[in-house]
Amino acid sequence: MRKLVSLALSFAFVISAAGLFANGQTESPAASGPISIQVFYPVAVDAPIAQILNGYVSEFEKANPNITVKPVFSGGYNDVKTAIQTTIQGGGKPPALAVMLATDLYDLINAGYIEPLDPYLAKLPNRDSYLGDFYSSFMDNSRYNNKIWSLPFQRSAVVMYYNKDLFKQSGLSAPNSWASLAEDAQKLTVRNGNDVSRWGILWSTVGLPYWLFQPLAIGAGKNVVGSSDTEVYFNTPECIAAIKFYNSLSQKCKATPSGAQDTWGASPGDLASGRAAMIVHSTGSLAGILKQAKFDVGVMAVPGEKPNTYASVPGGGNLYILKNAPQDQKDAAFKFMQFLTEPDRVADFSIKTGYIAARKSAYETPAMKDYIAKVPQAAETRDALQYAGKELSLQNLAKVRNIFQDYLQQAFNGKLSPEEAMQKAQSEADASLKEFK
Amino acid sequence: MRRSKSSSRPQFAGPGVTDANGPGVTDANGPGVTDANGPGVTDANGPGGAAGGRRRPRSVILPYLLVLPTLIFVAMFTIWPTISSLLGSFFLQRLNIAKYREPTFAGFANYATLFHDPTFYQVLGNTAFYVLGSVPVSIALGFLFALLINRRMRGIGLARLALFHPTVLPMVSVATVWLFLLTPDYGLFNSALSFIGYRGAQNWTGNPDLALLAIIFVAIWKNAGYYMIFYLAGLQSLPREVFEAARLDGAGALTTTRKITLPLLRRTSLFVTTIAFIGAFQSVDHVFVLTSGGPSNASNILLYYLWQVRFENLNVGVASALTIVLIALLLMFTVSNFLISERKGNLDG
Repeated sequence: MRKLVSLALSFAFVISAAGLFANGQTESPAASGPISIQVFYPVAVDAPIAQILNGYVSEFEKANPNITVKPVFSGGYNDVKTAIQTTIQGGGKPPALAVMLATDLYDLINAGYIEPLDPYLAKLPNRDSYLGDFYSSFMDNSRYNNKIWSLPFQRSAVVMYYNKDLFKQSGLSAPNSWASLAEDAQKLTVRNGNDVSRWGILWSTVGLPYWLFQPLAIGAGKNVVGSSDTEVYFNTPECIAAIKFYNSLSQKCKATPSGAQDTWGASPGDLASGRAAMIVHSTGSLAGILKQAKFDVGVMAVPGEKPNTYASVPGGGNLYILKNAPQDQKDAAFKFMQFLTEPDRVADFSIKTGYIAARKSAYETPAMKDYIAKVPQAAETRDALQYAGKELSLQNLAKVRNIFQDYLQQAFNGKLSPEEAMQKAQSEADASLKEFK
Repeated sequence: MRRSKSSSRPQFAGPGVTDANGPGVTDANGPGVTDANGPGVTDANGPGGAAGGRRRPRSVILPYLLVLPTLIFVAMFTIWPTISSLLGSFFLQRLNIAKYREPTFAGFANYATLFHDPTFYQVLGNTAFYVLGSVPVSIALGFLFALLINRRMRGIGLARLALFHPTVLPMVSVATVWLFLLTPDYGLFNSALSFIGYRGAQNWTGNPDLALLAIIFVAIWKNAGYYMIFYLAGLQSLPREVFEAARLDGAGALTTTRKITLPLLRRTSLFVTTIAFIGAFQSVDHVFVLTSGGPSNASNILLYYLWQVRFENLNVGVASALTIVLIALLLMFTVSNFLISERKGNLDG
């Protein structure tokens, strides 16, 4: 008897296992009637994203009773992209909508994962004013081959945070050039014997080194990337000067630890606790810094080489429609996309998360105006955008970015001279881009 | 009754053993371990005992039927992916180039690309350093911890908990905690080091000479407690008479450990070294959190590189070739580890 039971059990197991795998293919949404869409969404950021987005979803479902939105929250941007890749490679149906990095544009197009938004946008009566309302430095990441592939959503930028109280006490004004930045950083560094109790500036160069470095290259006069999707400018005198300036902050001014620094996670806290007078970081850290800091926090674009020049670079994620999703789901996804980018919602999202509102009109909403009256820094992050150059984004991005970062760090760590490092970075990057021309 | 039960065991031990080695080779050490204990144990005791008790002629198919579910899973999640990676490694497929999106046969081109890639050699070197740096130390520590806590005394439960708790934590949280412990200047790790007189570089995750060490250190901290559990189980199953005899003969603690405990724990050691080596080759989570393989690939190890090639560079062909290299390395290690310890076993006994 027991043998029979175990036999039956093992059969049941096999059958249920087989059923588990067959299940993936039995889903076939009805052509009409209620539509259900999935939205893949990264949550590894410094805000209660899941909660905020769930709120928007229920508002949207109330307004559109025939559409159900299922947000799928997973890790960071990479996890979302990996999940979509594996779904599509495995022959499954991708979600209709996803938030992925703005810079992933080329990879996503080449892999055939996304489709242009132009057909959907064409149906809008106010297409031009709608698109024109997004900040152009954000929209730059959405355009390729005269088509629009994504809409800016949770966008950030590189800015410099500084402790206004410390500047005032030392009789300094906010830096407006590399020279004054170096001087201020040096003056604000405090040493007790061999120990440093306060660094003049912390500038992380591990993790996302290319991103925090780009404002230096832009500030020197030439960005590392241009309008071409297969060209980079690593071995330019400007880029090399930018590396030398970064190195001089530690070597000459002794105002920051020497070598490549992994201070991404710690530096917002260091600024807030007074262990650093200035930090270069994402606008995404604003809320956290304001919550902790007991002094007047200043936010500005990173000073450039020449007096009164500034630089910044955008970052963050966009909304993409996935090509292989059924058409009715994609239509619903675009509707949700529009809903998410309404000025009031963009303003609300920006207030709750600290991301820069991607649309100009969001700053005209009463909610945003009230918020800026209370937190003027929210307007300062947006103001930094006018100095923003293009974020490193082109064909074969991951490879080129890794090459750049590897040599950048070798130059910071003194393993290679800046000239030599950038020469090698340029030739390796050129080689890896050859097949994309 | 008892005899027949134990005599039926070798028959059912077959699947148990394959379970331990089969998925263990390519899967994470988690499933490998549960497979080894879970199905293996139930197979041997449950139905075997029942069949023996009735003294009916045993069915020939039944054992195979019972293994079938496991076999299906092994085939689906180990054998098939291995074959498909092997096939994929001979095809050129790069998802971020439209013309190479569909796989085209390319012979050994992917292997050639790999073996001409200086980063690959750097990564191999890092991996060897990582494996050799973390595995022996964490096993030795695990053994030492097991010896320490294999006794009756007050607060031993607390000591066991303290030594074992890193194992229970997910690697990602461990790495996140360590990221803060490793913060220069005021991070707990650096404070402790400077308290005992260390005055060197503190920038553990950003310094190219320290990053790999930081990764190794975290791995040791996390894994030693895990290996301790196996040794503790092994120690507690050892016969007491042998140790009593040794004590009567006047053998010291060191001699006893070296001449009696270690040889008796040979099987445990084989198992622990196998899962430790495999686990080391497969560890990747902390690299994501702590260093992202940087700076300048200084802490990039095989599995992280594989991830980069496959999911960042979208080069499916080269990623498959890398997978085959990884599988070959693991197979080579597992087989040689097994052979070496088997030979030793024969010499000893």
